[in-house]
Amino acid sequence: MKKIIFQFVVLVVLFFGLWFLLSNINWMSAFKIEKLTDDTEIKIGKAVWDLYKKTEKENKDEKAVNAIDSIVDRICSKNNINRETIKIHIIIKDDINAFAMPGGHLVVYSGLITACDNPDELAGVLSHEISHIELDHVMKKLIKEVGLSVLISMTSGNGGGETIKQVSKILSSSAFDRKLEKEADISAVEYMINAKINPEPLAEFLYKLAENKADESTYEGWLNTHPDSKKRAEYILEYSKNKIKNTKPALSESSWKLLKENALD
Amino acid sequence: MENKFDYQPSEHEAEKASNSYLMSLIALIAGMPLPIINLIASVIFFIGNRKGTYFVRWHCTQALLSQFSLLFMNSFGFWWTISIMFGPETISSKYIGYIITILIFNISEFIATIYSAVQTRKGIHVKWFFYGNLTNLICKA
Repeated sequence: MKKIIFQFVVLVVLFFGLWFLLSNINWMSAFKIEKLTDDTEIKIGKAVWDLYKKTEKENKDEKAVNAIDSIVDRICSKNNINRETIKIHIIIKDDINAFAMPGGHLVVYSGLITACDNPDELAGVLSHEISHIELDHVMKKLIKEVGLSVLISMTSGNGGGETIKQVSKILSSSAFDRKLEKEADISAVEYMINAKINPEPLAEFLYKLAENKADESTYEGWLNTHPDSKKRAEYILEYSKNKIKNTKPALSESSWKLLKENALD
Repeated sequence: MENKFDYQPSEHEAEKASNSYLMSLIALIAGMPLPIINLIASVIFFIGNRKGTYFVRWHCTQALLSQFSLLFMNSFGFWWTISIMFGPETISSKYIGYIITILIFNISEFIATIYSAVQTRKGIHVKWFFYGNLTNLICKA
């Protein structure tokens, strides 16, 4: 009996040892998998954004762009995120919405900026969307919804406008998995704590979305793509408990005022 | 690993015992896409021969037992692949490492099975590492 147990242990150790050793080899770069997906993502992002900007009006007002940039700079620098990978675009639209596209494009509607009561709320939403980009949720969602082959065909140049339109519609108006949303929420809270921004206003913003759902259609954008707002606000508060120390507003009062004034330009 | 069996099996017994390995070999190939198939096939063959002679039963048991561990390994790999294709999982070095590991184990089993089928056909008793001892424990004369 002892011999059998010993031989069994040898087999198990052999199996897991082999797996462990093989896992330590960087197969992803050996097979050029990561590089391929990165390049593909950038190409898809460019195709989607090029078409999207033709149909929408982008706000390029320097004061507004600088204000948003300074929030994103602060979040990125305190969380070791390469700032150059995030490309912010303010779109003039009344809907309260923000979403991430492949290739690090982050679209913020001016309606979202005007709906926020303070810069920390906006920083919360931006952190959440940056988390989706950093955690590679955007590509995961697209692969699941439209399939890898369709996505790759988009990068060949003759992918067809209809597919790209469909992709941008999925990105702007359909929700991520609950699991991915929670991951992005938790990661957003961490980003904010590291950047010394109070995460509580993000929870307050979610409560506000849930309460206003009935009377304002403009509240539907981010609310549709982010269901269970109340529940999410609760776990954001729970997770950030006892972690908030020495926070500073995401923007100075004057910069915030300038951003709100120029958001709709 | 070759050992002497308690008695010299007859030509008929050797053929049946050899068939149990051939059966699990075919089941292994057929079961590649869906690992449960190879276990079902081996179980059916095992039940069919449970009243056979000691030599036949012994080799049927060893072939069946070896299928069990492959079933767990391959099933895990199968569902991991499914969740990468249709779920939120993505390809990682850990996944590729796992697939190569189960591939090595499957190939080893494949070679051992062919070898055992050939040897048992000649009436030579083949006792595998671990599985042989486990079979001794389960399969009584």
